[in-house]
Amino acid sequence: MRITGNVLSMPFDNIDTDQIIPAVHLTVIEPGELGAHVFTGHAQLASRLQAAPQACVVVAGADFGCGSSREHAVWALRERGFRAVIAPSFARIFSENAYNNGVVPIVLTPSEVQACAACESVEIDVERETVTTDRGERFSFRLDPLRKTFLAGGGYLNYVHAKIPAIRAWAAARVSLRDSNRL
Amino acid sequence: MSGTYFDALWESHVVEALPDGNDLLFIDRVVAHEITTPPGAAQIEREFEDMLYDPSAIVAVNDHVSPANDAATALQARHLRRWAKRHGIRLFDVGDNGICHVLVPERGFVRPGMTLCCGDSHTCTLGAFGAIAFGVGTTAQAGAMLAGCVVVKRPNVMRIRIDGNLRAPATAKDVALTVVRTLGADGGRGCALEYCGTAVDAMSMGERMTLCNMAIEAGATTGLIRPDGVTRAYLRELGEAFAGEANWYDYDCDGTYAKTIEIDASEIVPLVTWGTSPAQSIPLGALVPENANAESAAYMDVTGGEALEELDIDQVFIGSCTNSRLHDLRAAARVLRGRRVSVPTIVTPGSQAVKRAAESEGLHDVFQDAGALWTHSSCGPCLGMSMGVLAKGMRCVSTSNRNFPGRMGAGGRVHLASPIVAAASAVLGHIPKPAELEQLAGDAVCA
Repeated sequence: MRITGNVLSMPFDNIDTDQIIPAVHLTVIEPGELGAHVFTGHAQLASRLQAAPQACVVVAGADFGCGSSREHAVWALRERGFRAVIAPSFARIFSENAYNNGVVPIVLTPSEVQACAACESVEIDVERETVTTDRGERFSFRLDPLRKTFLAGGGYLNYVHAKIPAIRAWAAARVSLRDSNRL
Repeated sequence: MSGTYFDALWESHVVEALPDGNDLLFIDRVVAHEITTPPGAAQIEREFEDMLYDPSAIVAVNDHVSPANDAATALQARHLRRWAKRHGIRLFDVGDNGICHVLVPERGFVRPGMTLCCGDSHTCTLGAFGAIAFGVGTTAQAGAMLAGCVVVKRPNVMRIRIDGNLRAPATAKDVALTVVRTLGADGGRGCALEYCGTAVDAMSMGERMTLCNMAIEAGATTGLIRPDGVTRAYLRELGEAFAGEANWYDYDCDGTYAKTIEIDASEIVPLVTWGTSPAQSIPLGALVPENANAESAAYMDVTGGEALEELDIDQVFIGSCTNSRLHDLRAAARVLRGRRVSVPTIVTPGSQAVKRAAESEGLHDVFQDAGALWTHSSCGPCLGMSMGVLAKGMRCVSTSNRNFPGRMGAGGRVHLASPIVAAASAVLGHIPKPAELEQLAGDAVCA
């Protein structure tokens, strides 16, 4: 999988999911209509998005996606056409949500992130785990090898679904342990 | 025994160790609310024949917007209601509900030694019971409902040792804000915070929930407290069957922690946030830091060196999963008794059970005599979805947990504080100076 496109620079730390998608938009049962509202939680983010309407890669500060667990934040990014986020670090739940929805959470060092923010476009090779800027700089990143397999849509639920027989067997053994007071 | 309480509890739920530090972790209880559950439930219905691993392990609550305030929120609540009915899932709905993190403990759905998850980041609140409880996204929650497990990275365990006597008018909220301030907004990333120490031992279950509630504000996977006599007494009040398994009370954990942070409770003073992160707090009476983050300061319309007491406030909110339990309401009521609020003040109990308990003590009269609005339970103004929404530039002192930009309404400004500080702010129309708080709080000890 390759992602090639323009960069949207959001050079702020701790961009929380309320800023990515305000709670007033959490009233959907199907996530399809959230794209129009992405980054409307904070005026300075909204104006940066307006200035880069074609962008498909967010380049942000540390701890991106902190706060609320709302997967709507990732859905809104995805529906708006964003396919990856590059940041020095991600909040745990956001990162999990991103993998589960095909949005690639890419961790680079702060100086590499700055280099990406300074360019117009990047090319991301997801298989080989590299980012190449339009200035020719190339950076390596590392994805969680298991969650990388979830990036294709529906991957997470199919994965745990396939584990059900093993989970049921484990739970049955646990109950019998408990009954014999050994747990 | 080596290893921490958290480690032992975690290991007892690992179904399979997965690559890269991930585990397939068995989940004893899934908490499902109307905002984050319906998309996942709909996906399971569509793609997995509506299958659930164990409907009896799920508890559902309509809590965020309750009752619905428009057609969209009505449809969400109906979706959860119909789904729960179809599967025989226990549902708490309008009239008999509460914020899930308040309701779940008071109905005995969390016990020491359990694992719980919910599509809600403040699920860490339940760690107060010696459980592993954490927030997940909609997909991971759906996975837990479908397969009984989540794929989650095992956190390192950070010990937060809080010794000494907490001195009024400082409260558990101020301890929570101190922890977040000490660690920073992402200082707990990849960690479970195991709180211990004499100050934690001395806390009631309500105070412990306030403390654990804000672990996520330091970016931690969860927070928890080893169960003890206080935990057991709380659960026994609900009934002997709720007291859980004895071995988790007696578990000997002389383990190794990835890191230990030590906090002296006797030095903790009432705090209030000046910025747009829960980590950006200062003691009452202190000035906004000279080196204040420029974006945060601009959003909040404050400048370095400024005193927060100078700012006019537009609203006070007392409630949320952080501070809406009976002891929080009692603390606020002690400040408000016999006084009048000078700005619109919304007091929202965390559950209908809390509401009834508060009313049986006459607290509703105290609030209403003071001119505050006494509401039914819900998440309320905390996340700007229903009542008490702020407009651009409006300033609210709130007992909730997040002061993010736009959290309570686009452009709205939130200062986080304890119920005592919030109630004093309601009377004064501004954030109190320490002397004003002393005078208003009097004996308002958050018991």
